[in-house]
Amino acid sequence: MQRGRLGIAGWVALAVAALIMVAPLAWTLLLSLKNNAELVGHSEAALHGPYTLQNYGAIFGNSLTLRWLLNSTIVALGQTAGVLILASLAGYGFSRLDFPLRKPLFIFVLVGLAIPSQAVILVQHQLFAWAHLHNSYPGLILPGLVAPFGVFFMTTYMRGIPRELDEAAMLDGASRWTVFWKVILPLTKPAQSTLAVFTFLGAWNDYWWPLISATHSNMYTLTVGLAAAQMNYAQTSGLGYLMAQAVFASIPIFIVYIVFQKQIVRAMAGTAVR
Amino acid sequence: MIRAGAALVIALALGSCAPADHKTHLYLQRFFGECGAEYGGSTDISKAEGECGIITTMIARFNAENPDIQVDVNVVAWPGYPQLTAQVAARDPPDLVTMHEGVISDYAAKGLVEPVDGYLRAAGISPNDFTEAARQGVTMYGHIYGLPWDTHGGLFHVNTALFAKAGLMRDGKPVLPNTGQELLQQARQFEQRTGKPYLIQSNVGDPAFAARNLYTYMMALGAPIFPDAKHIRLNTPIGLTVANFFRRINAERLGTQNMDTPAAIAAFINGEGGIYPTGTWMIGSFEQEAETPGRPLYKSYAVFPYPRLWGQHVEFVSGHSWVVPTRKRSPQQREAIARFFKFMAAHNYDWARTGHIPAFKSVLNDPRFKALPHRADIAPLAEIGRPLPAYVQRQNAIEGLVGEEMAAGFTGQKPVRQALADAERRVNTLLSQVD
Repeated sequence: MQRGRLGIAGWVALAVAALIMVAPLAWTLLLSLKNNAELVGHSEAALHGPYTLQNYGAIFGNSLTLRWLLNSTIVALGQTAGVLILASLAGYGFSRLDFPLRKPLFIFVLVGLAIPSQAVILVQHQLFAWAHLHNSYPGLILPGLVAPFGVFFMTTYMRGIPRELDEAAMLDGASRWTVFWKVILPLTKPAQSTLAVFTFLGAWNDYWWPLISATHSNMYTLTVGLAAAQMNYAQTSGLGYLMAQAVFASIPIFIVYIVFQKQIVRAMAGTAVR
Repeated sequence: MIRAGAALVIALALGSCAPADHKTHLYLQRFFGECGAEYGGSTDISKAEGECGIITTMIARFNAENPDIQVDVNVVAWPGYPQLTAQVAARDPPDLVTMHEGVISDYAAKGLVEPVDGYLRAAGISPNDFTEAARQGVTMYGHIYGLPWDTHGGLFHVNTALFAKAGLMRDGKPVLPNTGQELLQQARQFEQRTGKPYLIQSNVGDPAFAARNLYTYMMALGAPIFPDAKHIRLNTPIGLTVANFFRRINAERLGTQNMDTPAAIAAFINGEGGIYPTGTWMIGSFEQEAETPGRPLYKSYAVFPYPRLWGQHVEFVSGHSWVVPTRKRSPQQREAIARFFKFMAAHNYDWARTGHIPAFKSVLNDPRFKALPHRADIAPLAEIGRPLPAYVQRQNAIEGLVGEEMAAGFTGQKPVRQALADAERRVNTLLSQVD
């Protein structure tokens, strides 16, 4: 975008839009820095001091908070790694290999996109109960590995890579695996980054499955743990604490956004796929 | 990196293995939040405040007084029923669970919670010790299914400064209406003299508000709201009388409009209306405002059960209780549960400091309880409180449907008769699907 073309009206519009976007975040931050009692009935008290870190102190005062943070990290990273591996392999298979029922199988995978997770949650829960996987890391990570979007995404991306590259490598004696590992995979880095970011964010923010699978507090993820730590009527008598939880839980996501900003913007703009 | 990660996971797994001890372990699951930062390790119940502080300290005290028992606490996100259902499905339920009395029937009907008659006997607790509302709340299918812990319901929280301005104080007490017509007259007088609405209402996103009002006054008029386990009857002359009354309050703008719960609480605290009908659980916060100089509620707060406007003086209530999910347990664990019940019953006064009404008659008559602010005024709730019939399942879901439809009816988003009919149809459809 060329700055000169925007004009004053454009800048004003952008500034207003930015203000609208930032205002709730700033409000959340200010509320989190206020004493809960002060905010009951007077949320405008957030606009002036005194400010305090006591709500953050209460979060860290819970001996399990760091454990929940670690659990979320393990689950989110585990799901991200798993999805990248499986989606890349499946994407390569669907885009490059000829095998019986390839097209019907791909359509079958795509159908998975249309099935909401709530529709299978009962069966999934029973299956994991049967396998004694509740309250465990595999129990929290494995369901997230079923990622039809990832398969679709990687297949589409790999289809856009010229087949001539595979053929040239094979003429030089490369095996299928070598072609995948040394030729195709490096070219999919932008797509991998995008998929990784989306998977990580989805896993980090997931609430429903951890809520019913991790029923012991030492296996809670951060989302479930922070919700459990809320007192009843938190929106009225514990507003500052509630907001501090929101800020605390979003810090890792914020970091991911900062680090992978380019990939996220590219993904949103639809340019990661070709 | 990978090695470091693997080492971390192994360390965590090993760290999770608790060393064997010779205690009897009880796995207790509760809501009310987590406040270990403030109360972790404290066993002085008298110094604890609020639901979370008091329950945390009580359990710590129980553990301290019973060195042969260890109650391991799992705090769940409110209300905890999705997790409990999942645990039951996975055949790994806790030993003790906090449960709203209106929910017990869902689990009791399927045998997922045990009758606790035996535990009560072992603890030396007689159901005759329970208040009427508490006893009804935990009794179903001829058995007691939980240790009642409190009774909670709607109260008229009153701004007495505004009532005085409206000429509605007599002998230092607010004059509450005795009939529906009187309420409308007082509300009009209040509005004329103060320029503010008589009622503060949370009709947005708070289905319990509208449902509580409808249930309470239909019960007062003797309506059989649930004639059997599969049907609700709202679209009746009595239902219409009550619903039209609340519609009129809104049509005449005698109550606030378009407020959710936080907005309504803020409005009451800031003196923007005369009465806020909400639950027992807000007494602590409002009392704190009433003790703070400079605040609109300073020395201007009183609270009472819903007034009798028609028929009998009864009121829809619910309560918290301790239930015991069905699972295999050792005799030691059963004895530990009985001791836990005995301890909790003995400390029911401490829990009543939260604002909830005690579940035991002895506490209700305890001078310490009566000396707490406003408790003498709200104590009648223990006698006039009526839960829904125990045979009605899905009471939470039903409250959501009824409240949603009636809020629409009260505020004029749909005709009152249609709101009653829609609520009835939706609830009956739900109940027809219950096993």
